[in-house]
Amino acid sequence: MCELRKRGLAAAVIISEPFLKLGRTQARVFGVPDLPLLLIPHPLGGLSLGEVEGRAGHAIPQVLKLIKERAA
Amino acid sequence: MTNLAGLLESTGASIECEDDFDAVNELVRSRGWSDGLPVVPPTAGRVEHMLAFCDRPWDEPVAKIAPRYGEATPLRLAANAVMAGCRPEYFPLLVAAVEAMCEERFNLYGVQATTHLCAPLVIVNGPVAKELDINSGHNAFGPGWRANATLGRALRLALVNIGGAIPALGDMSTFGAPSKYSYLAAENEAASPWEPLHVERGLPREASAVTVIGAECPHNVNDHESITAEGILTTIAGTLIAVGANDVYYHAQPLIVMGPEHARTVADGGFSKADAKRFLHEHAHLPMRRFSKENIERRLRVTWKERLGAAGLDAPVPMVQRPEDLLIAVIGGAGKHSAVIHTFGATQAVTRALKTRDGSLARSVADFRRD
Repeated sequence: MCELRKRGLAAAVIISEPFLKLGRTQARVFGVPDLPLLLIPHPLGGLSLGEVEGRAGHAIPQVLKLIKERAA
Repeated sequence: MTNLAGLLESTGASIECEDDFDAVNELVRSRGWSDGLPVVPPTAGRVEHMLAFCDRPWDEPVAKIAPRYGEATPLRLAANAVMAGCRPEYFPLLVAAVEAMCEERFNLYGVQATTHLCAPLVIVNGPVAKELDINSGHNAFGPGWRANATLGRALRLALVNIGGAIPALGDMSTFGAPSKYSYLAAENEAASPWEPLHVERGLPREASAVTVIGAECPHNVNDHESITAEGILTTIAGTLIAVGANDVYYHAQPLIVMGPEHARTVADGGFSKADAKRFLHEHAHLPMRRFSKENIERRLRVTWKERLGAAGLDAPVPMVQRPEDLLIAVIGGAGKHSAVIHTFGATQAVTRALKTRDGSLARSVADFRRD
């Protein structure tokens, strides 16, 4: 994802709260400290289909915002 | 470069501290540079002494340790080896183990950062194991031996201090495991009826080697009654079966640690290592109905689509995909026990020979002596 971002594409990592610090560290390690990390509620495992759709609901507005900002 | 004073001039290479054990340990604790236990203060003098058995430039990285991808230079590794209490003679093995676990197929990023409780296990083979008095017998995975305790600990400190495996930051393990303090043993080659692990994995017998495995803690296999190869292996296969093991979902390489007495019984039954692996592969499986409905639909039928996608609930789910994926090592002392060690799953074992800088096999750690 960092490589895509470096090439100027709209790229982000979707991440749940306990992994936020790991994500920030990794983005820094790979030279893209401003890589967007799109936060969704934890957990990701053991979800019903409806709950998975709920997680997508959290992510989609953030993805759209990212794409619009990139296009602007 | 092997001029310590020069290397210590670079930014961040050294830190001033009161010359007092407690003060040093308070500093180390406050910076998060430890496993929680007190450390031996890594003074410049001790670090230089540790590098007596290093035949490489002290500032040239031997690997980058995930997830921080910090550069593991001999200088940094030596500081961690001092902190762990290692003898300088151990240092070449520390370098080899770090190189092995940083090979891509080991997937150190996954092993370090996963929520699973794995830790890199190091198995040492060859003449260096005896030379360094690495325990391969009673309590080989436990306390009581300096080489096992401190070499394993030095690796952990390197994983934390260079690799950034800090709990909840770079090490996301839900529980962790006691094996994350130290996890290193030698194979008991003298008590094994079979070829040693490093020979099976393609190295000459006279080589010394490390094999690293992204492993869970050992799970005991008690069998005091079986007197045949088939009997012992049936009990081991039964213990290998674990519905919640990561290994079910990967081309994984679980390790069977055979106690010397079990190994002898199996070998006396005419079983080579390969025969034992075939038997274990054939017998370590469960009907799919023993898994939860969700795991059947979401994992088994998806991961093993070709074999289980449309299979009935009585279809066997193997614990290991191919006989040759199993690893077998003979470790331990007297007693009718073996152990099953499951893995992180998304990792492959790596075996690396102990070699000097010019690429030749080391006959002794003395080959690394600087002077």
